[in-house]
Amino acid sequence: MAVVPQSKEVAQKAAQKSASKAAWNGYFSRYATLIVLFVGAALFLIPFYVMMAIALKSPAEVAATDIWSWPKAPTFQNFKTVLENTNVSFWNFFRNTAFIATVTTAGVIFSSSVVAYAFARLNFAGKDRLFMLLLATMMLPGIVTMIPTYVLYARIGWVNSFLPLTVPAWFGGGAFNIFLLRQFYLGIPRELDEAAFLDGASYFTIFSRIIMPLSGPALATVGIFAFMYNWKDFMGPLLYLNDPELQTNELGLSTYNALQAAQWHLIMAGSVLVMIPIIILFLIGQKYFVKGIAMTGGK
Amino acid sequence: MLSRILFTITLCLTMLTAGFAQSESASSEKPITLRFTVWDGDEASKVLRKEIANFEKAHPKIKVKLEPVNYDRYFEKLLTQYAADVAPDVAMMDPGNFQRFSKRGAIFALEEFFDDVPGFDIKSYYPSIVKAHSYKGELFVLPRDIAPMAVVYYNKDMFDKAGIPYPDGNWTWDFKPHPELGDKDFLTLLQKFQKKDARGKVTQWGYVPGWPELFVDMVVFGQGARYVNDAEDPTKFNYDDPRVIDSFQFYADLTLKEKLIPSSFDQAGTSTKQLFTQQKVAMFQSGIWETPQLRVEIAKPDKGGFNWDIALAPKYANGERAYPTGGSGYSIMKKTRHPKEAWLLTQWMAGAPGMMAMAKAGIAQPAIRELALQEPWIPGPNTPEDQQIPKNRIITDQAEPFVVFPPTGILYPDLNLMVRQPVGLIYTGDSTAKKAFSTSQPVTQDRLDTLRREMDLPTFNWVAAGTIGILIALGIVAWIYWPERKIKRTSKEQRENRTAYLFIMPWLVGIVIFTAGPMILSLLMSFSDWDIITTARWRGFGNYTEAFTIDPTFWKSLSVTLIYTLVSVPLGIGMSLGLAMLLNTKVKGIALWRTCYYIPAMASPIATSLIWIKLFQPEGGLLNAMIFGPNGQGGIPGLRQLLEPLAGSNGQINWLQNEQIALPSLILMSIFGAGGGMVILLAALQGVPQYYYEAATLDGASAAKKFRAVTVPLISPALFFSLITGFIGSFQVFTQAFQMTQGGPNNATMFFMLLTYNNAFRTLRMGYASSLAWVLFVVVLIFTVLQLQGNKFVYYEGSDR
Repeated sequence: MAVVPQSKEVAQKAAQKSASKAAWNGYFSRYATLIVLFVGAALFLIPFYVMMAIALKSPAEVAATDIWSWPKAPTFQNFKTVLENTNVSFWNFFRNTAFIATVTTAGVIFSSSVVAYAFARLNFAGKDRLFMLLLATMMLPGIVTMIPTYVLYARIGWVNSFLPLTVPAWFGGGAFNIFLLRQFYLGIPRELDEAAFLDGASYFTIFSRIIMPLSGPALATVGIFAFMYNWKDFMGPLLYLNDPELQTNELGLSTYNALQAAQWHLIMAGSVLVMIPIIILFLIGQKYFVKGIAMTGGK
Repeated sequence: MLSRILFTITLCLTMLTAGFAQSESASSEKPITLRFTVWDGDEASKVLRKEIANFEKAHPKIKVKLEPVNYDRYFEKLLTQYAADVAPDVAMMDPGNFQRFSKRGAIFALEEFFDDVPGFDIKSYYPSIVKAHSYKGELFVLPRDIAPMAVVYYNKDMFDKAGIPYPDGNWTWDFKPHPELGDKDFLTLLQKFQKKDARGKVTQWGYVPGWPELFVDMVVFGQGARYVNDAEDPTKFNYDDPRVIDSFQFYADLTLKEKLIPSSFDQAGTSTKQLFTQQKVAMFQSGIWETPQLRVEIAKPDKGGFNWDIALAPKYANGERAYPTGGSGYSIMKKTRHPKEAWLLTQWMAGAPGMMAMAKAGIAQPAIRELALQEPWIPGPNTPEDQQIPKNRIITDQAEPFVVFPPTGILYPDLNLMVRQPVGLIYTGDSTAKKAFSTSQPVTQDRLDTLRREMDLPTFNWVAAGTIGILIALGIVAWIYWPERKIKRTSKEQRENRTAYLFIMPWLVGIVIFTAGPMILSLLMSFSDWDIITTARWRGFGNYTEAFTIDPTFWKSLSVTLIYTLVSVPLGIGMSLGLAMLLNTKVKGIALWRTCYYIPAMASPIATSLIWIKLFQPEGGLLNAMIFGPNGQGGIPGLRQLLEPLAGSNGQINWLQNEQIALPSLILMSIFGAGGGMVILLAALQGVPQYYYEAATLDGASAAKKFRAVTVPLISPALFFSLITGFIGSFQVFTQAFQMTQGGPNNATMFFMLLTYNNAFRTLRMGYASSLAWVLFVVVLIFTVLQLQGNKFVYYEGSDR
């Protein structure tokens, strides 16, 4: 890669030329970039615009106007109708989803952090191969275990309760999360816990007093990912929740859609209702999200 | 969490003690609760709730909990609930589906209860509906209503305006119009109602069936043809019968060529009923159950609505009068703990009180003939004004002798779905009926033959299977601890070892119960034929042979999934990378842009699917409106010329209905998730030190060269990560297809996960589904290993590789 300039003069000339070219390029490309970004973002957000527009139209206006037009007389009546339906309660959906996501997230944070600690810091029999097993389960498509676990839950009477959706999170919390936290723990200087160990601290003390307080960002990342994943999960509730009162946002919206065939103003209003909490959540947790993603996709 | 577990334990204990308490004092005053599930919609549920209250008043010791479920998912849910021991006590059933339960011993044969209620007489019911709910002479469902789909709702005002007398049921249809018969010929009548605008687009039709199959069934049955040779125990499917083929073709021609019936494209996202209430069609055929909703939706004539009534559907000119029919009743599930009380409820709701309540609301024609011939079913002087319409309700009794029930054979429902997979293509004009059934008929017949051959497989030996499972588990344990065999630990190390195991205990327990155990079980199950209700049977390699050699859906599904993965993942990563590089150019407001692009990726999957259904809608959807203009005129220039060849016979692109376009449509939709990958790659790009680029610039490297030699290697871990997770995720795509296409048209979007789900939870073929899951597992494994081989191109900072 080492190209030695032949003489000062040549180098200067070349630098001048490339500087003016770069200035022009920079000027042009900055605006080109902005235009492309703007058009792209508009395209990406069109579906949500359409959703919102239909949700705010009266049924008559939906039938009479083009799909992209903004309602002339925006109305919140659709949202009211959706929320007042006695057969499907969106309030219930919301409460159930929040409960499942919270309990699951707590479980994921608890169990993945303790397991990751052992893999990062402690020595034990079969550690290497157990770790290989852990990595292997990351690649495992969930479908392979779906059917037998259903049979299992059916046999112990857990179907039609939140248990199949929440309990497993407390047992490991997902190979990926363990892996992520282990990598993070490895980055915490060992000297810290060795010093504590010499002072007579137990492994539990080290874990709870040194490792945990230092891994706030990593835990937040894992927590937010787990929360979002469970909030949006469809397959799990579809399999395990039958009772209309137990359904979650995603499943409830799907059920609602089936009940309101072709009533697009109501379906879109329901979609907006389901969408809002996620977007708020995302905006709140955005900082950790992006940070966490940098961590997962990185080295 | 602990509290929840404790709660469960206490709950179990209470239930146990409650059970004891009950058996000790059978005459205790505690009321029992019966769970009662139906597929009735909002209006009918209201009526049922009222009648249940009456029942509870008459039987103070019984409480009833009503659980309405949508029909589309009703039977699969009930089956899986039954398998999981959480089924209701009393369940609504119909002739086409009760066999799935009776064959598995899941519902009672009702005869044993008949004497419990004095005055109960099964002979008072319409014989046809009783027969339809019986199998080999045993009645499994107590009929509550019969619903011949021979009811033609007609708009009196439109008839008046056209100067045509109201239909009286004495009309006939034939494959060709007979103008000489005048208004008594159905097709001639439809021609009279057809109106076109200046551009030749039809704006008014004479007739629409509630759903296409209703019309096709009427045509098939009218010619004396049937879909299978024997309704109770079919051995042959008849989709090679020219009469059946002609019927499907007839409907396709009427909708697409003659345009006498609105096609699904013409519906533009509205329902057929809405076409009628919006006065776009003069007649709408369905069952009587539409009445309550129509009473609500059709305003009074002086308030912009219209006058309407019902007439008997036409008869085939050269054949017999025959109509498909609905009809339903209630069954008692075998696992109920209160069969006697369940019978009380059943014969109340499917007896005079329940029927009268339904009749009053105009929802359902009583299954007891005497009740179907009097008020309130037939409007009379005492009928309140708002229940007078439709007047002509006597036709439901007139239609009864001509009804044809769906076959009751247990194999029929699933196989009929299979043979009808290409039907959507006939309706869109993408295939002729003859061509469509030429492949699905023989395949389905084969499947039927196989199933009949396998009726008596040996039972599955769980002891042997369990032993093999334990051996596999021991093998894994041995592999884990083999390197440990010579290691000696000091007491300090032993303490550390013990502590470590305490730390990893949650995961260890989890992997045994939720991963390794189920995997082994699923492997064993893949050699069985098991619905998890009846005993499992040993099928050997039968599941795998069926997948690889018999089931065409398997290969189709595998290729659909592979194509989707191989196109959408690289495309998505390319998009993500492009976006990330744009955003990495020190552009202002990066957080805002990032959010804009990221929102679609993290939005609710079901809501997203629903919006896209709307965007993809052929008539009135966003994409076609942009390409062809909202009224078929205008649109974005250039785009129209480019995409016109993709348009179907309706002049629009049928994004989700066309066999060739459906999968690309879903891929297009998946691109909108590129924001997820973008955020990862952007983070990686921001981690690339700027001086690398400066050095490269000094060396005179071109932009392309810089991209290849600096950017790609340095972000390769992130790229690799996106690729691997993208592939694994994409192999398991489910929600979009489940919500948007149900795998159609003709399996063009039958993703592997959906196929497995359908087999496992719709038809309860758990063994076969397990074998499918294992096939997918192996495919994913191969892909992952291949990608890990490619891992050597990935540059890890600080490593020498």
